Amino acid sequence: MSNKEIDLKEKIMERIKSGEIKMKPRWYFVFGSLASVAGLVSLLVVTIFLFNFAIFSLRTNGYMRGYKYNQIIASFPWWALVLAVLGVLLGVTLLKKYDFSYKKNFLTIVFGLITSLLVASLLIDFLGVNDVFVRKGMMKKMYKRYDGRCGAMMIKNEAGSKMRANTMRVLKDQFILEIS
Amino acid sequence: MHNLAQLSDEQLVEYIIKENQELFSEIVLRYQEKLFRYANFLSKDRDKAADIVQNSFIKAFINLKSFKTEMKFSTWIYRIVHNEAINEIKKNKKEIEIPEGLDIRGEGDMELDFDRQEMIKKVRSCLEEIPILYSEPLSLYFLEEKSYNEIADILRLSLGTVGTRINRAKIFMKKICQTKK
Repeated sequence: MSNKEIDLKEKIMERIKSGEIKMKPRWYFVFGSLASVAGLVSLLVVTIFLFNFAIFSLRTNGYMRGYKYNQIIASFPWWALVLAVLGVLLGVTLLKKYDFSYKKNFLTIVFGLITSLLVASLLIDFLGVNDVFVRKGMMKKMYKRYDGRCGAMMIKNEAGSKMRANTMRVLKDQFILEIS
Repeated sequence: MHNLAQLSDEQLVEYIIKENQELFSEIVLRYQEKLFRYANFLSKDRDKAADIVQNSFIKAFINLKSFKTEMKFSTWIYRIVHNEAINEIKKNKKEIEIPEGLDIRGEGDMELDFDRQEMIKKVRSCLEEIPILYSEPLSLYFLEEKSYNEIADILRLSLGTVGTRINRAKIFMKKICQTKK
């Protein structure tokens, strides 16, 4: 078969005329684009929230100064950090589908995305949004769990009750000794 | 009734969408040979190439309303053929590998000293032996006469990467063609 022998016209037009293949409507593509943008924006919002949550936990625990190794393992919301990183990876994959991703320097786009996410997360924490979430809202319980200040109070309360129990024990022993 | 020969591809597409779907046959006539040559180069199998082109035309027709007429239609349809061909290649597990001893480090300015026509002849005879990663942009540039911008849009690569790959392909060509002599 030489190059010129290829003749697909009949085959293709037959399928078009018979209605076997049809053009997809324009709204299908418009809806697809909107859904894709909405998906990307939602993903970025969730990622910002997760980064912000990790930053909040770090801040309330006095950044790394207040953390001990065991405490880091136990009370830092690693899941949020892992999900945030996955969010970034997914975001980068989705960005690759847009034309600008290969027309501009892709490394710059990725760096810009990560920087914007971190800056937005820090800004939210700086504006005190997290402190509102600790006091009220659906996420109050979760926030309290990873809030270093609540943790410190719990430790303080725990230490106080231990001290009280020890004092009581000593007084009790003295009382028994005096009676005997 | 428009004189079809005078219409650009983009105008023709608009006409097909708005007025007469059957004029898609004109698109098929305009592109089937070029696309077949390109698909044949990628798949290295004439029967598969014909299937690739046919599927690409069908996909193009189905998604014609997603084509933005401010873009070049040829870039759009070449992109569809590229995707179809790459899927076909992956399906057949043909690996895109660099032959041993042919890897090139560095991206220096290595202009070859033979003119365009001579280059085309050598391209045709040596192209099949070059890894597809490099030979595809070179084929689009020399055989399909696409600009760097169009190649970047077809392969979704940055202009810099297109330039680098074409330069590397030229170096491969030089090595392979000289070995052939």
